[in-house]
Amino acid sequence: MADGIIQLVPLAIVAGMFALFLLSGLRNRIRQSSEYRFKGAYAGRIGIGAGIASNWMSAASFLGLAGVFYLKGYFAMAYVVGWTGGYVLLLVLMANQIRRFGKYTAPDFVGFRYESGAARTIAALISIIITIIYCVAQFRGIALLVSWLFGIDYIPAVAIGTSLLVSHVVVSGAMGVVRNQKLQYFVLITTFILPLMLLTRKLGYFWILPQFGYGAAIGELQQQFGFNWSEPFADTTPFQWLALCFTLMFGTAGLPHVLSRFYMVPNIRDARWGVAWGLFFIALIYWSAPAYGVLARLFEARNGLALNAGSADAADMIVLSAAGLGGLPIWAVGLLVAGGMSAAFSTSAGLLMAGSASFSFDIYPRLIRPNASEGDKVFAAKGFLLIMAAGVMVLAFKPWGMIAEIAALAFAIAGNTIFPAFLLGIWWPRANATGVICGMLTGLLISFSSLFVGGSLPIISQLFPLTSSACIGAPLVMIVMVVTSFLTSPPSAAIRHFVSRNVHDCPEN
Amino acid sequence: MDQSSPHNDLSFFKPRGTTMRNEVRVIKLVLSGWFIAIVGFQFFAYLMEVNYSELLLTNFIFINLPIQFWLSGQLLPLWFIVLCVLYNLWMDRHTTESNEESLRFRVRSADGEDE
Repeated sequence: MADGIIQLVPLAIVAGMFALFLLSGLRNRIRQSSEYRFKGAYAGRIGIGAGIASNWMSAASFLGLAGVFYLKGYFAMAYVVGWTGGYVLLLVLMANQIRRFGKYTAPDFVGFRYESGAARTIAALISIIITIIYCVAQFRGIALLVSWLFGIDYIPAVAIGTSLLVSHVVVSGAMGVVRNQKLQYFVLITTFILPLMLLTRKLGYFWILPQFGYGAAIGELQQQFGFNWSEPFADTTPFQWLALCFTLMFGTAGLPHVLSRFYMVPNIRDARWGVAWGLFFIALIYWSAPAYGVLARLFEARNGLALNAGSADAADMIVLSAAGLGGLPIWAVGLLVAGGMSAAFSTSAGLLMAGSASFSFDIYPRLIRPNASEGDKVFAAKGFLLIMAAGVMVLAFKPWGMIAEIAALAFAIAGNTIFPAFLLGIWWPRANATGVICGMLTGLLISFSSLFVGGSLPIISQLFPLTSSACIGAPLVMIVMVVTSFLTSPPSAAIRHFVSRNVHDCPEN
Repeated sequence: MDQSSPHNDLSFFKPRGTTMRNEVRVIKLVLSGWFIAIVGFQFFAYLMEVNYSELLLTNFIFINLPIQFWLSGQLLPLWFIVLCVLYNLWMDRHTTESNEESLRFRVRSADGEDE
């Protein structure tokens, strides 16, 4: 990859896109102060949906998913189903009720519902762990794109990418840029689908809906090159598939930055319909992502290249290689780079800011400096953002998997800890602080169990694979929470009253 | 019913009050539709592969895509959207606007677009 060639046209497109975001963000800021007074933050259901989708789209969706398709074929469908099906769980089990608690962050919710500072601190720590791991996936994406843009090696590209990201956060923070999420979603979907349409058109497939048109490539790979996409469970068991799928769904319903979307919308009906629209916008990308993986295989086969079986770096860049091998003009490749950069930048900027806020409000004043002033907290937040960025950078030097796999670990942790804490907190008033603390700690242990004892106990790594531990883990954590809650005294009458009357509209008796 | 601690009783599996009972019934329906579709499609694909591998390779291809790509990749996301829409329609019809308005407490104002 270190060919020393700087890709000028794609670089210009990326720079142009960030300038566009900056300008529209500044315009928003000016408009906001004058219009909000009478117009309110009501953005329309479609607007809320676009916000949910652009908040969700990260390097894992944009680059990682196609890479898994390229390497693992049908197994990657577990990502598609997991990352869309989670929204059903979120909508029916959580979205309505979460809003009635009136809390804005996961630690806030846990602290309020379980009436425990310790539980709140653990939830904050877990949110930060999730943030860091999720960011490693984004940093890897950024670094791969930077290394392609500037023609440099991966390691220096990680460092450059990190400094670009930190300056992006600092500059947009200092200028008060408001993220225009509708514009961002529009850019993401265009930069992803337009090159795909061009590709399928070039191949003579049904290009108007490339989401279906790519099927012809599967047929060609099969008939002419003997490449078998059609045996879904040739290399994996249905358990592995379902474990990954359910882990991603539980994780979706437990990722702090996804949950916090529901407090932002003023009206509960709009919030619900926003989820449906958001899911549609998200599905648009996921219906298309397999096509890149399949087409890349086809181009490689046609060009007589050996089928690449193992290189994670090549697989994560497969969206770009597909465009390159398919002979698309350089500006179309540039569009893909711009879309990937925008997805990774906005996700990691948002996550790092939320993580540092969580540190400065939930951990710093509680554990480190009990009587910190507001000024101290702001300073701590800025400092911690830099520390987190540096930590993520170091982890991204030697990542432990592909982008989608790294992201899946973050989903597994969220599914094992935050998801059970929210689910039981909402639906079972008897759940208490001891229960949730034991549950979240068990969840953490389960998430990392295959890493630490998987070598000596193979059964652990079969039941709780690193990327798919929440399928069995989350129910197990819930059992732990129920048992410990029953063994210890119930939570205060006030909070049980709140849950049954204010959250579930139960009549008094 | 335990009169001394009425709130201990309530849970997802023991809903109380008409509103919650109806809501939980719909949630159960939606979640069964969600679960059966996910597991059922994979089970179907697995059985097809184990028993009729030849058929799966050649005959079950509709408009270019093998059937399991249709089921998992195209149909399941669509089915999830349909489930969300059905749930929303039911909720819109069965919750009164006034009830929802009264619950709009402590909603952050004016900065909805902000991160």
